[in-house]
Amino acid sequence: MERENNDFLVRMVNIHKWFGRVYALRGVDFEVRRGETVGLIGDNGAGKSTLIKILSGYHHADQGEIYFEGQRVSIRSPRDARGLGIETVYQEQALAPNLSISRNIFMGREPLRRLGLIDKKVMDEESMQALANLGLKLRSPDVPVVTLSGGERQGVAIARALHFKAKLVILDEPTVALSVKEVEEVLEFIRQLQREKVSVIFITHNLYHAFDIAERFVVMARGKKMADVKKEDTSPQGLSDLVLKSAFVAE
Amino acid sequence: MERLIQFLRRRAASTFLVFVGLVLIFAFLSPRYVFVHSRNIAALGKLFPDLGIVTLGIGMLMICGEFDLSVASVLPFCAYIFARTLYAGLAPSWGLFFALLVGAALGWFNGFLTVKTRMPSFITTLGTLMFWRGVLYIWSKLMPLGIRQYIPSGSLFEKVLTGTVFGFFPVQSLWFTLFAILLGILLHYHRFGNWVYATGDNRDAARAMGINTDWVKTACFIIVGVLCGFSACMQSVRIGSFAATQGINFELRAIAACVVGGTSLRGEIGSMSGVVLGALTIPILDNGLVLLRVPVMGISAFIGLATILFVLLNTYVERRFR
Amino acid sequence: MEKKLTLGRRFLLSRATSVLVVLVLILLLFSLFSPEHRFVDPDNLKVLLSLGAEFSIIALGVGMLMICGEFDLSIGSILVFCSFVFLKLFELEVNPFIIAVVTVFVGGALGLVNGLITVRGQIPSFVTTLGTMMFWRGLTLLLSGGEQTACDVSALGTKAASRFLALFTGRAGGFLPAQFLWFTLFAILLGILLHYHRFGNWVYATGDNRDAARAMGINTDWVKTACFIIVGVLCGVVACAQIGRLACFTSRTGEGWELKAVAASVVGGTSLRGGIGSMMGIFLGAIVISVIENGLVVLRIPYFWTYVFFGLVVLFSVLSSMYIEKKQMEAHR
Ligand SMILES: Nc1ncnc2c1ncn2[C@@H]1O[C@H](COP(=O)(O)OP(=O)(O)OP(=O)(O)O)[C@@H](O)[C@H]1O
Ligand SMILES: [Mg+2]
Repeated sequence: MERENNDFLVRMVNIHKWFGRVYALRGVDFEVRRGETVGLIGDNGAGKSTLIKILSGYHHADQGEIYFEGQRVSIRSPRDARGLGIETVYQEQALAPNLSISRNIFMGREPLRRLGLIDKKVMDEESMQALANLGLKLRSPDVPVVTLSGGERQGVAIARALHFKAKLVILDEPTVALSVKEVEEVLEFIRQLQREKVSVIFITHNLYHAFDIAERFVVMARGKKMADVKKEDTSPQGLSDLVLKSAFVAE
Repeated sequence: MERLIQFLRRRAASTFLVFVGLVLIFAFLSPRYVFVHSRNIAALGKLFPDLGIVTLGIGMLMICGEFDLSVASVLPFCAYIFARTLYAGLAPSWGLFFALLVGAALGWFNGFLTVKTRMPSFITTLGTLMFWRGVLYIWSKLMPLGIRQYIPSGSLFEKVLTGTVFGFFPVQSLWFTLFAILLGILLHYHRFGNWVYATGDNRDAARAMGINTDWVKTACFIIVGVLCGFSACMQSVRIGSFAATQGINFELRAIAACVVGGTSLRGEIGSMSGVVLGALTIPILDNGLVLLRVPVMGISAFIGLATILFVLLNTYVERRFR
Repeated sequence: MEKKLTLGRRFLLSRATSVLVVLVLILLLFSLFSPEHRFVDPDNLKVLLSLGAEFSIIALGVGMLMICGEFDLSIGSILVFCSFVFLKLFELEVNPFIIAVVTVFVGGALGLVNGLITVRGQIPSFVTTLGTMMFWRGLTLLLSGGEQTACDVSALGTKAASRFLALFTGRAGGFLPAQFLWFTLFAILLGILLHYHRFGNWVYATGDNRDAARAMGINTDWVKTACFIIVGVLCGVVACAQIGRLACFTSRTGEGWELKAVAASVVGGTSLRGGIGSMMGIFLGAIVISVIENGLVVLRIPYFWTYVFFGLVVLFSVLSSMYIEKKQMEAHR
């Protein structure tokens, strides 16, 4: 067993990924420290979603290694990732819109009574508790998620991550298509995660949101990592220049 | 080699290869090579356009992301309108006109229901399939109506719809070719075709680009209706009567043909040449197996098998070579 | 914002309730207007409850499958193939209970085939089952020669044979047909599975947002395949019940059921896009379709009117579900 520097929660080394003939990731190194929030930024199609989907078990890397808490791991399915404590709030909404809030929070990990029957009482109470912990007050755990606002929906997804004691929460463009007020809500949820010492990967196209919340920034372009800067060494304008320059250099 | 891969990358290419293979197999295996006998080819050329013409429209509709199950009742409905017009003493060309008109109207209704209710067309046209079939059965009392007396053999109308050119080539096949070319141009070279693909790809994106997707869909439904009307008249003239059983099972067979030709059920993917291939493959399979003395009632087993295998093949080739 | 849904409003807005209202209306209509009220005649009710139940049992499975986002057009063909298997084993004079087990097993296997082709080949189930629909019926026709063959279980004369008939075609309390009891039993079992069991949650999640379900560690391929198998098993059960009742094998059985079953599910409020629906709704939807079919016969309305009615009922339920969904959204806001 290879041992690693224990500072890192997760370390991805030399990750390659092809989609048929599309070379989506070309040898990316990426790491997150314990309790750290990393902003992952870059142009459309840079490979950000692909990278984190490998981490959450949704895709498999064609080449490369992943270390989690110092241990070499192989993440073969979303189930494996969740087992390690990696939760993902996807760009494409990780919720089933017509299912109730509590059923969404416990999707795939339902509390059971005998014979696989669901313990609805526990499920409802714990859901409301999880939402309250995040500062989100919703009427009832029974309403379908479609009826919630965009910010509330992201809140449900984040509450789910928090409830299951995630060590790493990945947020892929959670603020896209939200109103200004809802964005502020979501950023507040993320601050709550930071207070609970959860590591966060935050993907966004809005560099101001990224700058607001993250401590370190990784810039990607065309399947490669182009830059890795600390917050104190840059500014929103600096990030913007980096993204533009990276896209240009990668061409 | 490069060329070959380039060719294989085209979605319907594997269908084309299998199609050629089928033709060869049937040609060599059928007793006394009847399959390639001119009489068999002529018969095939008369029969297949009934479903084939409808299939062309369905293919286009599927590319824009919708289905039409109601063809199986729109077609006999138009045939009944055609026969009724003749019985009312009007000229056959009026019959054709009314059949096309009614086809267009029923198609429009399908489109209207689908875009207004935002329901999948699978279910709206399932509703109209049952509804129009019921109306037709009640109205016609399931009685066939002979129309030979109104369309004397040798009349211009008969020749145009069901005659032969050069003494053996069936006009029906020419109509099929004509519609295929027209729709092919519309789909691949006309602005409308772009809209059809954009609509099937992603409604929101298409709408953001200022395309009226509702209108595009309705237009495609109307095209299917009109083609049903035309096919109905052609078939009625060929069999010399209206029969309530015309067009039965066309709904699923047309979809099978499109799928065999590489059209995606999720919209956006497909081409007119693929649809044409599909529309040819199914009847050839049908005909070839009959000539190989497979009992007629069992043939659907092979068509079913072929449908699944074609789809698997197309998907596999696509993944392997893209 | 804080507009609580009263119990009454919630009841009225529930989909199953509106189907129930439609059902009651149709029942009233048929009872009042059938000649000499023949619709409510015990004999007719027996026919309705036994014959209608056969179709309805399968519709339950199709509805569940639709909730997880897939279709099965091959039910009629699985049914006829299962019946054929039954016939062949019957001709070997096997114990009818063993035949029944094998038949149900074969049904499940054909469902498994549908499921595997769909999830492994990543083909829309619409195409898969369109293919298997043509395949299994064609194969049955080839093997059976398309003929109607006697298959009278009671002719075996054994004790097992009479028990078998009692189980599948008997009458509880001298009135309630066994088929209807089977139907109710399956509805309750599947209802518990769908609404109270963890598997049901997976079914909804798979149909509603497959990516989310996968991301949450649900094996959506497995869930879909399981639903296909359930449909196949139900077809096998119905094949036994139907042969028991008819005492013969016909190669045309189950024709046209595929679209009827979809219609029943839609009438019961199941969404074609998956993720929405309830067992109560599907249960009632299946009854509505069966009652219409029977009622029109009793009213001596020519059979083809049923198509008009089915068409209208489907279109009506599409419109009403649109309305209800809109109202529900407003009520929640
Ligand atoms: N499932 C897939 N199949 C084929 N190609 C894919 C798939 N997913 C992503 N790609 C391709 O991989 C490349 C990287 O995509 P990715 O979604 O990771 O970009 P991204 O950085 O998240 O972009 P965005 O900011 O637009 O979300 C793109 O060229 C994309 O087309
Ligand atoms: Mg992305």
